[in-house]
Amino acid sequence: MSRVIISRTLGAIVAVLGASIISFLFLRVAPGDPARLVAGPLASPDQLAAIRKQMGLDQSLVVQYWDYITSFVRGDWGFSFGTGEAVTTLMRQRAMASVELGVFAFVGAFVSAVALALVATYRRRPVVDGTVRSISFLGLGTPPFWLGILLLLVFFVWLGWLPGPEGRLGPTTTAPPSVTGFYTIDALLAGQWATFWDAFRHLLLPAFALGFASFAYLVRLLRANLLEVGREPFLVVTRSKGLSRWSSYSRHALPNAFLPTLTAAGLVFAQLITSAVLIEKVFNWPGVGQLVVDSILRKDFAVVEAFILLSAILYVIVNSLVDVFYGVVDPRVRNPTSV
Amino acid sequence: MEAGQAVAAERLLRPNVVGRSVRAAGRAARFVLHDPALLFASLLLGILIFLAIFGSVIWQKDPLAINLDQTLQPPSWAHPMGTDSVGRDVFARFNGGAQISLSVGAIVVVAGALLGGLIGVLAGALGGATDNASMRAMDSLLAFPPLILAMAVTVGFGIGLKTAVLGIILTTIPYYARLVRSDVLRVRSMNYVEAAAALGASRPRIMARHIVPHLGSTMLIQAGAVFGYAILAVAALGFVGLGAQIPTPEWGTMITEGLDNVLTGGWWVGVFPGIGVLMAVTGMSIIADRARDIFDPRGEYIRV
Repeated sequence: MSRVIISRTLGAIVAVLGASIISFLFLRVAPGDPARLVAGPLASPDQLAAIRKQMGLDQSLVVQYWDYITSFVRGDWGFSFGTGEAVTTLMRQRAMASVELGVFAFVGAFVSAVALALVATYRRRPVVDGTVRSISFLGLGTPPFWLGILLLLVFFVWLGWLPGPEGRLGPTTTAPPSVTGFYTIDALLAGQWATFWDAFRHLLLPAFALGFASFAYLVRLLRANLLEVGREPFLVVTRSKGLSRWSSYSRHALPNAFLPTLTAAGLVFAQLITSAVLIEKVFNWPGVGQLVVDSILRKDFAVVEAFILLSAILYVIVNSLVDVFYGVVDPRVRNPTSV
Repeated sequence: MEAGQAVAAERLLRPNVVGRSVRAAGRAARFVLHDPALLFASLLLGILIFLAIFGSVIWQKDPLAINLDQTLQPPSWAHPMGTDSVGRDVFARFNGGAQISLSVGAIVVVAGALLGGLIGVLAGALGGATDNASMRAMDSLLAFPPLILAMAVTVGFGIGLKTAVLGIILTTIPYYARLVRSDVLRVRSMNYVEAAAALGASRPRIMARHIVPHLGSTMLIQAGAVFGYAILAVAALGFVGLGAQIPTPEWGTMITEGLDNVLTGGWWVGVFPGIGVLMAVTGMSIIADRARDIFDPRGEYIRV
């Protein structure tokens, strides 16, 4: 087991280094003037020269790369010329809003994917199965930002059931005292039911738009896995020793169908982090994604650069953790040659 | 007698290409007609392809013409998809969007398959240091969530539709390369390849004649998925302002423009271009799914 952990860690380090080289090449060596990218369109020639010197663009590529990496590791991610604040400060202020939205989206997507995959495969009714498959096709083809607009149109503009794009809380609600950074949980901890309800209602539409693609992917995967496991002889054994259909399904088929789904965690994470960039703008959600889009529109690229490398690092970490965890849960993959 | 033999030989050497392709098209049509899902998907894509090619002929409005007397008109006979906030005809813009999206999809599929396929074949065939180096490079590309890597390309090389397409192509290369490499390794160990080598065939010849033709079905399945991804990605980049820029009739930028109108009731500006994306991606992914069923190597779902 420790061998798996070591090899995965080494692999992750190599991948992160590779990613940092790629983002360095694209963002610092590419034909666009990196000083211009960081300084913004309004910087004067003197300012540009100063920033060039400060960024070390007169140095050799190796020195530049070393500076790029060490300053990223130190948490020195530059300054937004738009607000003048450090990129790290901006991101920290907004991180929890994105995390809360992402967690809600993921939990919702996962729970409903399990439920629908069970419904689709349990009775083997073609109509039900066909409907579930169609939903998953639609989910994979829907641009998440467009889905967000559609949801706003139906539930806010037409029906008026849910709040519009006003962020995490309504204009009259004040934020609960910060403990975890999740408004819903903080409101519960403070016993403010009205605030909790408001935060929850504001979460529903963006979480749905954010999670729908992941949901569609998970349903597809779980359904295929359940069908595959359903053919295994050990299920016949559980039935023949007298277990009911449901307990044979829930106790023996489901856990085995879950396992391969773990490998999808990396993909789901990638979907969530990229969709966050697309969704938050639609709902005016004060998270990192909206910060990134606003920075793009202002040509304020220090924020975007930091976000690009950061998301690669997080993505590699998630994928490596999944691999290690998979090895823990399923002994067969620990040493693939022995299978 | 001799003349008859000559004709037979002629037939063998020069099969009736036209007749054969007509028959193949007939078979394909029968196949599609017997499969409702496939028929539906072909219809979706067919409509979009028709609008992309002939849209400007049957609907001769200028997608860029501003008309401030006709702003935010709801859908009507004069404007089947309404007009946007500066009075441009949304249907004309929709057709332009179909043109852009479908060509981007096709370009990305072909370019990604060529570049990724080349890397995969070289890595699988040469092995050793080439294999190692190219696969580490592919891993570095895979370290990014795909759309984020495309964002990096557009930020570094200048914002616009062209760099967005370049970025999307780049993100598809590692998927093709890995798939092709593992296929090459699988096929390379087969007996008939060994037999060809024993007969004295050179390595390039074995690659070209005996291994590469085997990659077709894998590539085809992958191409379907890549096509859908490319259309979603170019719309997403357009939406955040990294792809096509604003007056361009591209579906993603059109959705951005529609974002503000939605809250004031002008739903048609942003909704129709999204339906276009949905039609293209869903149509292609149903076809790709069927292709996977048919070419499934385990053969469990073969229904031909």
